[in-house]
Amino acid sequence: MKIFIFKLTILTLLFLVLGCKSTLTVKGDFPTPVVNKLPFTLGVIYDNKFKDYQYSEVDEKREEWEISVGDAQLQLFKTVLPAMFSNVIDVSDFNSTENNSIDIFFKPSIDELQYNVPAETKLNMFEVWIKYNMKVYDNNGQLLADWILTAYGKTPTAFMKSQESALNEAMVIALRDAGAGLTLKFSHIPEINTWLLKNK
Amino acid sequence: MMINMSYIRVKFLPFYLLISAGCTTVTIEEVQHTEATLVEGESVVVIGRRTSNDYETEPELISCIGKVLSKGDNQLNVIPEQTFMDNLYPWFEPRTAPLRVRDLQRLLAYDAVSQKFDDFNVHYIIWIDGNTETTRSSGSITCSLGTGGIGCFGFGTWDKKAEYEASIWDYKNKKLIGKVSSEADGTSYMPAIVIPIPIIAQVQADACKGMAVQLKHFFNNSQG
Repeated sequence: MKIFIFKLTILTLLFLVLGCKSTLTVKGDFPTPVVNKLPFTLGVIYDNKFKDYQYSEVDEKREEWEISVGDAQLQLFKTVLPAMFSNVIDVSDFNSTENNSIDIFFKPSIDELQYNVPAETKLNMFEVWIKYNMKVYDNNGQLLADWILTAYGKTPTAFMKSQESALNEAMVIALRDAGAGLTLKFSHIPEINTWLLKNK
Repeated sequence: MMINMSYIRVKFLPFYLLISAGCTTVTIEEVQHTEATLVEGESVVVIGRRTSNDYETEPELISCIGKVLSKGDNQLNVIPEQTFMDNLYPWFEPRTAPLRVRDLQRLLAYDAVSQKFDDFNVHYIIWIDGNTETTRSSGSITCSLGTGGIGCFGFGTWDKKAEYEASIWDYKNKKLIGKVSSEADGTSYMPAIVIPIPIIAQVQADACKGMAVQLKHFFNNSQG
């Protein structure tokens, strides 16, 4: 009997602990950008941290959230980059065998992700900020440019909409913003602009 | 078991009527600088302005205006907001969309962008800016669980205000040709005697209808 009560207590505690956690795997569709392609071959390095990026809330005062962004951001970059360059190759590192044809390498990473839910602000909105660190290297693996791209997305709460779907929507808007920022600013980063002019 | 549907409809009709019985006052204003001329096959796009930090023009309001414009008498050919934004990505995102008519020139320097506009046959872009918010709420309702079931008692009331402004850009002539504003105020009530009975003022929906009807008038008045 004692063992039964012990097991029941453990199960109840597990249920309470797991039941309080909200999880979200970001899902969305990203359109192909309407921009002129740069006539270069881009080698993209997506490391495992980027591919499997997951945000876990550590602040005990906040509601516990676990947000998986990896798949969605991979989908975004795999849609956006082929529209920006005439050829895009996924590579594991700078020494990959297909590197001979690569003009420049690109390696994105997330520095920080933040979000707000309506209960935390006076605004009736879900907000998301993603701070990306973008790095571009020449074909020898030498760093050419390193810049921060901040993406922002917000969505108003709506009647009959769950917290998960509202936060997902804000995340997708932020990812679209990241794609827009990358597409429109890439050639204007001074170091990249200089490289592009040299290698026209 | 046979269910008498007409009985169900009659039984719930007063409840539905009551739900929609809240009152809303709508004020519409229009300024038209130039005539709007839409020839057959040309389209308009209704799109929300989302540059403000403290509010967001609701996507459902944009789709409501689009639906009203594309139905009934004098219907217009409306391109849905999401379709337009996706096809012209990344040029009409919240932080990249042109703020002034002359900014359109920057976009049209890209052949692919101007080709998309031609494919949609866009003549007018209608930018909607604004939101609906609760301005006051008071009262309280308490519900309790007893042996006879759940019962609620009390009274709640809240005011909502919707303020929207539409700026109409003539894409072909690159001009701002007019503005339409819609302002709606309404009070909703929720008396609760055993069950809560919502008497909701459809503030956003009424602001949408008022705005859409005036926009139809804006285009048809010019043609007539």
